[in-house]
Amino acid sequence: MGAPTLDTIDIIDPDLYVQRGYPHEEWALLRREAPVYRYERPGVEPFWAITRHADIVNVSRQPNLFRSTQILFVTKDEPGSPLPEEPVLRQLLNMNPPEHGEMRRVVNQRFTPRMVQQLRDQIERITSETLDALVGREECDFVTEVSARLPLAVIAEMFGIPREDWAMMFRLSNAMIGPADPEYGGSDTIKENLERARMEFFQYFTGLCEDRRRHPRDDLASALANGKVFGQPLPPFELLSYFALLIIAGNETTRNATTGGLHALITHPAQWRRLRDDPALAPKAAEEIVRWTSPVIQFTRIANADTVLAGRQIRENDVLALFYPSAARDEAVFERPASFEIDRYPNPHISFGIGEHFCLGANLARLELQVMFRQLAERMEFVELAGPVERMRSSFVGGIKHMPIRYRIRARA
Amino acid sequence: MKVVVDHDLCEGNGRCVEVAPQVFELRDDDRSYVMLEHPPQDMRSKLELAVTLCPRQAIRLVED
Repeated sequence: MGAPTLDTIDIIDPDLYVQRGYPHEEWALLRREAPVYRYERPGVEPFWAITRHADIVNVSRQPNLFRSTQILFVTKDEPGSPLPEEPVLRQLLNMNPPEHGEMRRVVNQRFTPRMVQQLRDQIERITSETLDALVGREECDFVTEVSARLPLAVIAEMFGIPREDWAMMFRLSNAMIGPADPEYGGSDTIKENLERARMEFFQYFTGLCEDRRRHPRDDLASALANGKVFGQPLPPFELLSYFALLIIAGNETTRNATTGGLHALITHPAQWRRLRDDPALAPKAAEEIVRWTSPVIQFTRIANADTVLAGRQIRENDVLALFYPSAARDEAVFERPASFEIDRYPNPHISFGIGEHFCLGANLARLELQVMFRQLAERMEFVELAGPVERMRSSFVGGIKHMPIRYRIRARA
Repeated sequence: MKVVVDHDLCEGNGRCVEVAPQVFELRDDDRSYVMLEHPPQDMRSKLELAVTLCPRQAIRLVED
């Protein structure tokens, strides 16, 4: 394949993400030649591809000019249309001020740095137990046996969901985020896959809510079930959507950062050696892993009015897609952006987003990654790939579904 | 130059503390507090970064 050109590049075909992973070469071309690029292709609703750090910051910080909608992302399977029929979920990601801030406050208190620090012992314990299960073997699928377990267990414990239901949460979460992937979504159409997963989720959370209204506890489910917006209880659709959002967001992105992080360390042996020599680098390494993996590929915004962005004329109701992994490699912000450096500092990536919709769970995700990579550095004496990675079919969340590794790990000291 | 944090907007994400720990501190009420109200000029670029990175746009730099 020759060098990409503006006219021929594809950055939204989900099959491309399966075959090649992130299209960094294409994003680099866009940043260089057309940072606000009108993407027009046959069969795709036109949109603007925004690829520079500064422009994504600029758009994200003006939620009243660029609104969030139910079109969360653009893809080839289901081209975004400016006026979709109805949202799958009504939740923070597709809300705007002032409703968005009011909704966010319902649970925000549970995700502050101080509250998250109180989960440290729990996260250390779950991580140790997860790694203990690898002892005595030489190969495993790192995704299903390690990176999927920690975030699922943490968010499920925060919610107060009993252990026997965790596997179902995992399955439904996968189906919601990867409905276009045959392994996750099933064989029906994307819409049918989504609808089935949503109904199962809603059924489960309805029961959980009823229980926590009668018997409130000190858990996330109770905070939601008894939460208020503008002085009123959350309407049923918003309430159930909120549950689904937190379960999905709590699962998918941290899992993919963890997998992608170990993948980066395996493919950058000098960085892995540094972390092994100095596990105290884990907090900086975690931040670099978030930058490097940028698990959320894109969110969209829609212009509320005609405006100009980086010299290009944007029209009211135009769709803009913000490509976060591209911002994470922006030459204008990062020195050696294409280099994975676990002690990078400062690391002003915006892979958790920025502005009104900044990742609610960022502090939790950071702590999970810090603990996981510190423990891996302390215990895993050797690791290599034992086969090819399998990537998720999605242009929304970049994920590795399976990563076979060969390893040697120490029993707990 | 003076640094101001709007405590109605701040929700304690702590990005400012990462960028400029000499200037900002997260306290038990989950708000960021300004420890050095008039930081030296050579910190300006760090503080501008803190302003940019604040998810809630809660930080302002006011010229004296």
